[in-house]
Amino acid sequence: MANLTRVERRGHLRRAAAAGPIREFLTFTLSVDLYAVELTTIREIVSPPPVTHVPRAPHDVLGVCSVRGVLVTVVDLRKRLRAPAPPSSSRTRILLSETRSGEVVGLLVDEVRQVIRLGAGEIEPVAAVLGGDISAHVLGIGRPDNDPIILLDLNSIIGV
Amino acid sequence: MVDSIDKAREEFFSEAQEIIETFSRNLLALDAAISEGVKDPTLVNEAFRAVHTLKGLAGLFGAVAMGTLSHHLEDLLDELRLGRAELTRTVLDLLFGAIDVFGKILAAERSGSEAMPPGLDELVGRLRELGGSVAPEAGMVTDYELDPGMLAVLTEYEEHRLRSNLEQGLRLYRLHVKFDLATLDKALEEIKDRAKRHGEIITYLPTGESSSIETIELDLLMASHDDLSILIGALASDRIIVEEIERKPLVPAAFSSRTHPPVVPESVLSVPSGHPRPGEEAADLALVSPDRSLRSLTQTVRVDIRKLDRLMNIVGELAIVRNVLSRIAERVRAEGQPQISSELLRVHRNFERRLTEMQDGILEVRMVPLGQVFERLSRVVRQISRELDKEIRFVITGSETEIDKLIVEELSDPLMHMIRNSIDHGIEDTAERARVGKPAAGTIALNAFQKGNHVVIEIEDDGRGIDENALMQKALRLGKIDLTDREQLSREEVLSLIFLPGVSTRERADDVSGRGVGMDVVKTNIGHLGGVIDVQSEPGIGTKMTITLPITLAIVSALLVRVGEQVFAIPLNSVSEALAFDGRGVRVVDGRELMGLRGQSLPLCRLARVLGLPDDSTSGRKFVVVATVGTRRLGILVDYLIGQQDIVIKPLGKTLAEVRGFSGATELGDQNVGLVLDPGALIEEVLLSGESVREKGLRAHG
Repeated sequence: MANLTRVERRGHLRRAAAAGPIREFLTFTLSVDLYAVELTTIREIVSPPPVTHVPRAPHDVLGVCSVRGVLVTVVDLRKRLRAPAPPSSSRTRILLSETRSGEVVGLLVDEVRQVIRLGAGEIEPVAAVLGGDISAHVLGIGRPDNDPIILLDLNSIIGV
Repeated sequence: MVDSIDKAREEFFSEAQEIIETFSRNLLALDAAISEGVKDPTLVNEAFRAVHTLKGLAGLFGAVAMGTLSHHLEDLLDELRLGRAELTRTVLDLLFGAIDVFGKILAAERSGSEAMPPGLDELVGRLRELGGSVAPEAGMVTDYELDPGMLAVLTEYEEHRLRSNLEQGLRLYRLHVKFDLATLDKALEEIKDRAKRHGEIITYLPTGESSSIETIELDLLMASHDDLSILIGALASDRIIVEEIERKPLVPAAFSSRTHPPVVPESVLSVPSGHPRPGEEAADLALVSPDRSLRSLTQTVRVDIRKLDRLMNIVGELAIVRNVLSRIAERVRAEGQPQISSELLRVHRNFERRLTEMQDGILEVRMVPLGQVFERLSRVVRQISRELDKEIRFVITGSETEIDKLIVEELSDPLMHMIRNSIDHGIEDTAERARVGKPAAGTIALNAFQKGNHVVIEIEDDGRGIDENALMQKALRLGKIDLTDREQLSREEVLSLIFLPGVSTRERADDVSGRGVGMDVVKTNIGHLGGVIDVQSEPGIGTKMTITLPITLAIVSALLVRVGEQVFAIPLNSVSEALAFDGRGVRVVDGRELMGLRGQSLPLCRLARVLGLPDDSTSGRKFVVVATVGTRRLGILVDYLIGQQDIVIKPLGKTLAEVRGFSGATELGDQNVGLVLDPGALIEEVLLSGESVREKGLRAHG
């Protein structure tokens, strides 16, 4: 939590320099890469409860779990984005997001980092950088510092 | 504040919906009456009343389109009930058309659209044209010993009814009744109902003479063809006195001088006797007990089903608490504290009993009669049969059968498609029926009944039956089966081809069924409700579709089983028994495993194999759970039986919509989630589109 506050303050300072409306993104890691999704699409971050495997489910669906009585479909974001699989650790989290159809989908990520704020001018369009499967799911690339952050489009991934 | 406005709007919608449904019911009854050549003035009047109420409601909520339509309908119905216009088929068609327009108006209102729905203007125009005119009848009313006070307050309609009854030579009677205020509405309905067999109640007025504040006395004016003695036998009681109103020349007595019931003790309050006008009467009542007159006489509430779902979820959570409680009791006993343990168990039992009661209570509230959806279907039948120019006798039985509200809602579309199919493809046209010697009117019978924890709905027609050859040709052409199947498929299997995608849809679209929704979609929808559908058909005799559905989706008892590491729940309503399995006596026929069970063959489904789970074949002993859905049985092979538990089934999300074999997931109590098997889907998979056919299909095509 302390982490988030500190970063937010830094983001605050950056705002003056940014052009266009400011959007907030939640950053996390999958394997070695840094990703982010728009903060407003995330309802809650939880430690993974026991996940029940669903036979016959698509390969990137890890299974289902229950978060305080709500049934959650857990999607393995690594598999959906075809990122390499690292061992899961104690930092593994599930980002809960509600889709248009009312389904609560949990996105399994390796580690949640921080919230950043980006102006429209700070988001690079994606076509130049990436190719292949993933590009359809990407809003753009943010570079608040030097490391590129892949901004994911949850709408395209799960339909929020 | 916004909430209460929303709530009021919700109320408005559901009330409007109810009134429109009542109106529709009246029209259907009128339709039936016309077919039998009967004129039923009360039905026209009820339709008028429904529309009148709707108009008031629309005014209250500023629903302009609804108000306009109701207004013009009201005018036409008023003409009809006063006998100034004649109720013909054309008029009835127009009235039925209004129901559709009302539906569109409601949908538009709901979405907040200001636009007038299509068809409204045209309908209103035609309604205006129809206001015919017939000269009002000359009366013989004055010939009777009727109280002028009563005559003066008759509405135009009541006067019309009085006159036309007298013209038909009916006699007039006065019923003096005494009812409890609290149950007045019900009592009135009841007596109207009973009187109906003998005649018609034209009007009722309070007499203003009441023995206590709890009761009210009324005079009912009734016209009947029966003698006084018959009416006394049928209607009279200690609270109802029946007298005949004589023609003037015979007995020169005034209406107001009639005898009163002798019972009456001295009135607690001095209400003036005589016959006050209704307005005065109401004022008097209001003075007597203001709260009573304002209080609604109905005892029902409308509840959003989502609220019941929430309550049911809480019951589910409580069931988990109950399970934890019983585990603690076990542990305490194991740790050597039998006294505390038995106290805990007592609490547990008590808790369990109350929980069951609560669960049953909530389930009961969710139950609605199937009649709701059946009525809508009668409208569809009427419409389609007129479009196709086929005469249909639609026979409904068992509409009082109750089922979960959610299921009812989901049922109307599949049932509608099936009935459309029956009329369009099943029932022959009139000429053909005459040729094969069938009655001109085709019959479609819709029958529902409860069978254990299931509700069975049958749709049966006396049409030409399903052409098995054509079905097979189509399936061949679509590559659903191959030539060897053609010889091997049983009759039942051939008929069930109709449920494969593409087979039941037409090559060419038409107005009624369209190319439309095929039987595969119907089957999928029924499957989502945990139900199965079967088809039987005899060429030239007819087709019967049977749907078997669970009574409720909200909470079910389930058998928990283990396969490998994973726990599954099987709804108990489809489990007929469970037995130990040692692998002996299994035969393989046509690629399917069968075991003998009391002289019958039971197809087997190794759950681990079917679901692609690691097969725990090292543990020699297994169990067979015999699942029965409809008429089909399947032995589900599992590693271990855990026990029975009440579960709340939560549907899997859209991401998992393609996954077959499960009806949802449920919490097992230790933060773990278990998948709920869908025995209907498994049976389907194994028995019909099962391994043998699929393997052959793969070989043949690819």
